[in-house]
Amino acid sequence: MSDLVMVFSSRVAYVAFALLVGIGVFVLVDSDNLLKKVVGLNLFQTGVFLFFITSAFRRDGSAPLLSGPGPVVNPLPHVLILTAIVVGVSVTAVALALLVRVYDEYETLDESEVKEAQQS
Amino acid sequence: MITELLVAILLGLVVAAAVVAALARGILTTLAAFGAYSLGLAVVWLVFRAPDVALTEAAVGAGVTTALFLVVVARTIGFGVPQQQRQNSTPSSEFVDGDEATRVGDAGASEGTRLRTAVTGAVRQGRRRSVVVASLVTGGLLLTVPALPVVGAADTPGFGPVTEYYLTDSATRGIDNVVTAILVVYRGFDTFGEIAVVVTAVVAAVAVLNQGEER
Repeated sequence: MSDLVMVFSSRVAYVAFALLVGIGVFVLVDSDNLLKKVVGLNLFQTGVFLFFITSAFRRDGSAPLLSGPGPVVNPLPHVLILTAIVVGVSVTAVALALLVRVYDEYETLDESEVKEAQQS
Repeated sequence: MITELLVAILLGLVVAAAVVAALARGILTTLAAFGAYSLGLAVVWLVFRAPDVALTEAAVGAGVTTALFLVVVARTIGFGVPQQQRQNSTPSSEFVDGDEATRVGDAGASEGTRLRTAVTGAVRQGRRRSVVVASLVTGGLLLTVPALPVVGAADTPGFGPVTEYYLTDSATRGIDNVVTAILVVYRGFDTFGEIAVVVTAVVAAVAVLNQGEER
């Protein structure tokens, strides 16, 4: 039992990653508000970022600047996540633009109300 | 040890902010919690020695994304509590907007009870399915956690020959910031693709919004 506690306590960031992705999925599936679904998408995505940045970290490392004292943390995941953050904002912007159109069309951002309006 | 403790506290705050964002009734509370969440993550990146990512997260994640959400809320449903929600919420309900914000700082225990009431509330509303789905995803990911390397270990598999090459080669080229070097030199086409994605997103958003105005 204490082994299991040790295993997870030495990997707190990965546990937080699992929780954040779970919360993101919950918001995506659960909420009726379409805006909140986009928030859930963002939560999910930043959870994955946490996984990458954690995998780049080493305890004795400094920031990836060569003028600083060596050894440095892994710079490659940082680059990937920098790209992913910008792509994530692009996805959010397009989703929000579509939501503005949905609101113009149906006067609501509630998923079930939109579905009702579509059926009638 | 200090770093581990700091990371644990920060991640606790971040997860709490995410829970608040997930369970809040009003959209404004959700967005405020989301902004706090992004800013907390930016600090986590800083502790994990990723200053470039921290700057981008604070500016783009906490700043631009939250601002976009606020603009869209103001443009569409507005910040007031919708009529229907007011009718639906029972007086005994714990998750009223104003309360939520003051409770963010509460200790872990009350966070747990709040989570439990929220979970039972969700089940009562016939939303057992989404709780099950989220639990399955989280449980599945947690199963993989013991197989991952210890956080901060120097022998993490990520430190392969590729990373070594980037570090030594940018040293011989005299580029100080390795992240910038990889971004614009070694993975320049990747960054070009990223810019293409941003341009496409802007074009798509403008096209979608303009179509609404024409009609």
